[in-house]
Amino acid sequence: MRYSATLVDHFLNPRNAGLMRDADGSGSEEFEGCGDLTRFYLRVRDGRLAEARFQAYGCGPTIAAASVATELAAGRLLGDLSLLKAQDIEDALEGLPEDRKHAAEVAAGAMRAAALDALRRGNVDNGGA
Amino acid sequence: MSRRVYLDHNASTPVHPEVLAEMLPYFGDVYGNPSSVHGFGREARAAVDVARERIAAFLRVRPDELVFTSGGTESDNFGLKGLALARGSGHLITSTIEHHAVLRSAQALEALGFAVTYLPVDQTGMIDPDDVRRALRPDTIAISIMHANSEVGTIQPVRAIGVLAREAGVPFHVDAVQTFGKIDVDVDALGIDALSFSSHKIYGPKGIAGLYIRRGTKMVSIQHGGEHERRRRAGTENVPGIVGLGKAVEIRGRDMRAEAERVTALRDRLWEGIRTRVPEVRLNGHPTERLPGTANIGYRNVESESIVLGLDLKGIAVSAGSACTAGNVEPSHVLVAMGVPLDWAMGAVRSSLGRSTTAEDVEYVAASVAEVVAKVRKAMPVGAA
Repeated sequence: MRYSATLVDHFLNPRNAGLMRDADGSGSEEFEGCGDLTRFYLRVRDGRLAEARFQAYGCGPTIAAASVATELAAGRLLGDLSLLKAQDIEDALEGLPEDRKHAAEVAAGAMRAAALDALRRGNVDNGGA
Repeated sequence: MSRRVYLDHNASTPVHPEVLAEMLPYFGDVYGNPSSVHGFGREARAAVDVARERIAAFLRVRPDELVFTSGGTESDNFGLKGLALARGSGHLITSTIEHHAVLRSAQALEALGFAVTYLPVDQTGMIDPDDVRRALRPDTIAISIMHANSEVGTIQPVRAIGVLAREAGVPFHVDAVQTFGKIDVDVDALGIDALSFSSHKIYGPKGIAGLYIRRGTKMVSIQHGGEHERRRRAGTENVPGIVGLGKAVEIRGRDMRAEAERVTALRDRLWEGIRTRVPEVRLNGHPTERLPGTANIGYRNVESESIVLGLDLKGIAVSAGSACTAGNVEPSHVLVAMGVPLDWAMGAVRSSLGRSTTAEDVEYVAASVAEVVAKVRKAMPVGAA
């Protein structure tokens, strides 16, 4: 199997999949080469991520990357999430094949956009940052 | 996960046990070069001759009209380039849905100065013979049309095209890699002058295939060297491969008709099982004029690779209609030519059934597809793609 057990688990049992109503922030990223798309919705408490939900269109790794990102981001400061790196997501998936690195990039880009959107809306406490 | 279901027979098939048994001595005791005059060579030559006669009998052609090659790709290269280069210059007619072995050979000939017309297909993947008629020019030197398409299975109106080719006096090459040994291929009735066929699609070994060349057809070799295959294709014969292909063909002669009937019923049962369980699905390809085992099913707004992965994890082998490499996705050229909208083409998955496929397999696959697609769609943004 060219994918890690963690990746396969997140693909088969995606965490936090689906739409969130009245989110405090949302953001998406599309990978131009293949049209893969990931979108996150964030619920924020005290400047930290309380809950994230995702929607993704793409190959198995793209779905798994979005799923693992919702777990990875939980409880973290929005400021941190606005700087989230693709490598963090790839590490959480225990690696990605060279030709599927874009899965982590799309998820990281979407999470950064969602965090920035929540910060921009300004109706959330930025945790003193 | 213990259950394994192989529904990728259009890609390759397992070697039939009887074929393997027939081949084994030619990896061991019988190792001579068929071109050698001594006893070792004569044994090998005899085996090659028997295989050639079996294939000739199956195709109802003369043994000396058959040339062995290394694979379907070589046969297609030989067929197209051999006809074109023998005529030096002129115009070729082929279609947009050919295998890349034909398409890229045609492009290579364009680079050498030949003109090529690529015919369109309708939404079922079918070429209109009237388009062939309209494309014919005084300088047309060859027509190459596939018998059935490997991705969607649509069987082309080869007989009608063969009549046009005859009338125009233009040689007609047919890539029959997906039909040879699966449905009847009668080169005389279909008006075919050159026919590519392969072994590993019909439970024979890989690395061996053939090209039928009607006697009297002007053709040049594209591989030069020794005087093998009546000076048409140089290179020491792949004796075990040829023996295996000969046996595989003999078995097809015995089993083909009954199996085609059985596999067609299973194919339709698979489509029914999926259609009734999964919303927003479509069948790509012709509803009836289609290869017995081929079902190309589109799942709207789902990426086919996620389905292939989900099914692979359940032990099921199918193939994706779109190929994604390093973040670049290429929807299949066949589905694009058929005008399948992108939101459907991206989610195309081909199942190709074969001799080992059972009704239980089909039920398991239909249920698994429903489960995987529902799961992938749950994570999907509404209206994306």
